[in-house]
Amino acid sequence: MLFNSLHFLFFLPIVVGFYYLLPPKLRWLLIFISSCYFYMAFIPKYIFILFFIIIIDYFSAIAIEKKQGKIKLLWLIASLSANILLLCFFKYFNFLNDNLAPIFSLFGKEFQPINLQIILPIGLSFHTFQSMSYTIEVYRGKQKAEKHIGYFANYVLFFPQMVAGPIERYDRLGQELKKKQNFIYQNISDGLKLVLFGLFVKMTIADNIAPFVNQIYKEPLKHSSEEVLIGVFMFSFQIYADFFGYSSIALGSARMLGIKIMDNFKTPYFSKSITEFWSRWHISLSTWFKDYLYIPLGGNRVAIPRWSLNILIVFMLSGFWHGANWTFVVWGALHGLMLLIERFFSKLFKFEIKAHWDFLNVILVVKTFIVTSFIWIFFRAENFNKAKEIICIIFVNNNIKFNLISLKVPLLAIFGLIIFDFFQYNTRFDIKLNTIRTPYRWVIYSFLLFCLFALSGTEKFPFIYFQF
Amino acid sequence: MIKKILIKISFLIVIIISLNIIYNLTFYKKDLAEKCEQILEIKNNQSTTDIFYFAESSNFNTRESDSIKNSISEITNFFYPKLKITAVNKPASHAGIFKKWLTQINLKEHKPKAIVITLNLRSFDAAWIHSKLETPLQESMVLAQPYPNLINRFLLSLQAFDNKTEQQREKEMLNDWENTQLIFPFPFKYKTVKEWDNSMANGSYLKADGSWDNDKIVLACHYVKSYAFNIKESNPRIKDYDEILNWCYINEVPLYLNLLAENIEYADSLVGKELVFLIKGNRDFLVKRYSKNNCNVVDNLELVSGKEFTDQTWTTEHYGYKGRMIIAKNLATILKKQFNNEYKIAY
Repeated sequence: MLFNSLHFLFFLPIVVGFYYLLPPKLRWLLIFISSCYFYMAFIPKYIFILFFIIIIDYFSAIAIEKKQGKIKLLWLIASLSANILLLCFFKYFNFLNDNLAPIFSLFGKEFQPINLQIILPIGLSFHTFQSMSYTIEVYRGKQKAEKHIGYFANYVLFFPQMVAGPIERYDRLGQELKKKQNFIYQNISDGLKLVLFGLFVKMTIADNIAPFVNQIYKEPLKHSSEEVLIGVFMFSFQIYADFFGYSSIALGSARMLGIKIMDNFKTPYFSKSITEFWSRWHISLSTWFKDYLYIPLGGNRVAIPRWSLNILIVFMLSGFWHGANWTFVVWGALHGLMLLIERFFSKLFKFEIKAHWDFLNVILVVKTFIVTSFIWIFFRAENFNKAKEIICIIFVNNNIKFNLISLKVPLLAIFGLIIFDFFQYNTRFDIKLNTIRTPYRWVIYSFLLFCLFALSGTEKFPFIYFQF
Repeated sequence: MIKKILIKISFLIVIIISLNIIYNLTFYKKDLAEKCEQILEIKNNQSTTDIFYFAESSNFNTRESDSIKNSISEITNFFYPKLKITAVNKPASHAGIFKKWLTQINLKEHKPKAIVITLNLRSFDAAWIHSKLETPLQESMVLAQPYPNLINRFLLSLQAFDNKTEQQREKEMLNDWENTQLIFPFPFKYKTVKEWDNSMANGSYLKADGSWDNDKIVLACHYVKSYAFNIKESNPRIKDYDEILNWCYINEVPLYLNLLAENIEYADSLVGKELVFLIKGNRDFLVKRYSKNNCNVVDNLELVSGKEFTDQTWTTEHYGYKGRMIIAKNLATILKKQFNNEYKIAY
């Protein structure tokens, strides 16, 4: 089920209503059924993949907790392998298929690709990563194995964040799901604020930018250098509005049930460096890679060459997590590379970013935005040829006239996004909103409602991160 | 707590009503122009219109070689120069769309003297009902729903309409062709469209050298798929035309259903008398069903000869000038019942 659908706008109040009407003991069942229903609105049979993950990780965690030594490790390996193999089969099988043919030809052999016509289950990368974090934590002894399969199933399935995160840890979401939630007016109010804001950001901002960006990336050669450049910058805003909108709706929906989930974004385009960008963008994924890959690889307690390699490995894998395409790997690698360059220069010139805002920080923010925007080209372009075309057109004038008229709506949408990001800098929309006086707050509600109802994009675009 | 919630809900309702007014004054017309210019056409012309003419592409399509390019509605207007006939057309539209256009007429502002709506036989077939054009058509009609305009606009953004994919519609169409039984009062070897189409597709026409005449075969198959059906009460178009009839009856607006001419000649020569039997049987059903109350069915079914159809390799209701003139003249003659004093011989 899509958040930006009429279906969801009926589904959510019904679930919230029943949730508070039911005795607390039965609420886990409601969450379970509604989450299954939510997921089955996409491809119903794929729910069995989630059940498979739940069963494997539930029993593995119990075994890991009971066993010691090598057997404990074997259980962990078995659990992680099952998750990774599942992910590889559904997500990377076609990629492997496409890449084996050239490898075979290097050895003078022929490889016949196997066509299984696999459709990637929505959000598979999110479920598997979330579930894997649980078994790893149980293995590390930081988390007790959950005995109630219903609660564990809800941790994997919880509908507000099941298809595109945030990737939660069991010590947080698991506990939230178990709490006896009383009806608190403020939770409903804050939840509604976040849902409204999320829908506004997705439908009014991202969906109004999307047609222009799609046009540019589909046929870059038919556009002027200026248009392509603007299209590249616009994609930065589109993907942010799209994913941030989703995360806000997820946060708001969970909050309406009294459940707190983590913030996934903190105004990332106000970052002054790539390092800061990754502490503000898709925070749950960054921390996942930090905790389960970067630190086990040695983190920053190793020699500089090894540390640099670690950074590159983590970012490349993070890119590969996003999509089964070399363009995503390059996207990740470029982020890693930029981070290393930044660190190198800041050490060389003994440069430290100041906490307070000054002109230099503004320049740094603009620099970081430009760098991330250019790197996004590899994320958005369907292949390297398209990415090359985009980059070439930006730097080589192709004598096509610049058409400003078609840019009016997307530029206005971006302007709106920047204003709201200023408003919620270093805080969150609902928290900030609660600090201002009621009449002004209602003016903001009215503005958001009008934009959402009257100015949203008329084409529907699925959330970009659903494909991962 | 409950009082607080109720106050906030009431306040929210007031805000939404106010936003609806603001939307009507600002972006509504722009959205209509972008998504459904037909509604705008109705709203802009209703105060001066005597007769509305609702149609699909049959009204305005012309042949390249036509020296006179007037549409059927324009030619009809020549017979009634004192009346204003406003045509509202959209390709591929059908009764389900026309009935929504009807509800856009503000009868309090100005009541039209009559309404003419095309009755296209092919619009009852599975290919049209499950056409891939149906999704954009339905999308264009979201703004015409009986809700406040602001809500309609939001529903448009949510894509809350009959929003099936092309594949889903094609599946439904194929299912209809495969499973809907054809009814004949005499023995006939093909039970479904699929069976009939398969037999036509498998070498029904041969050239002089013995090879398959593919052009003719393809055309014959199109005729089977377009006309081989029996109109039943359960057909969604019947429900739509019933509603149109009802609307006109309740609002006392005379209705003329302009039953369009089909290429009977080609249907007969390419497929055979069984297909013609079905076409005529469906015509009889419609004429009988809708010739009542304040509705007249203008029967043009067999009036236009095969060569007057502009598409010779496809099944359409697109006519050359002569064909359009014949239909307009026939319609004008029937309209005389109501507008005898305004009638003027034009041709």
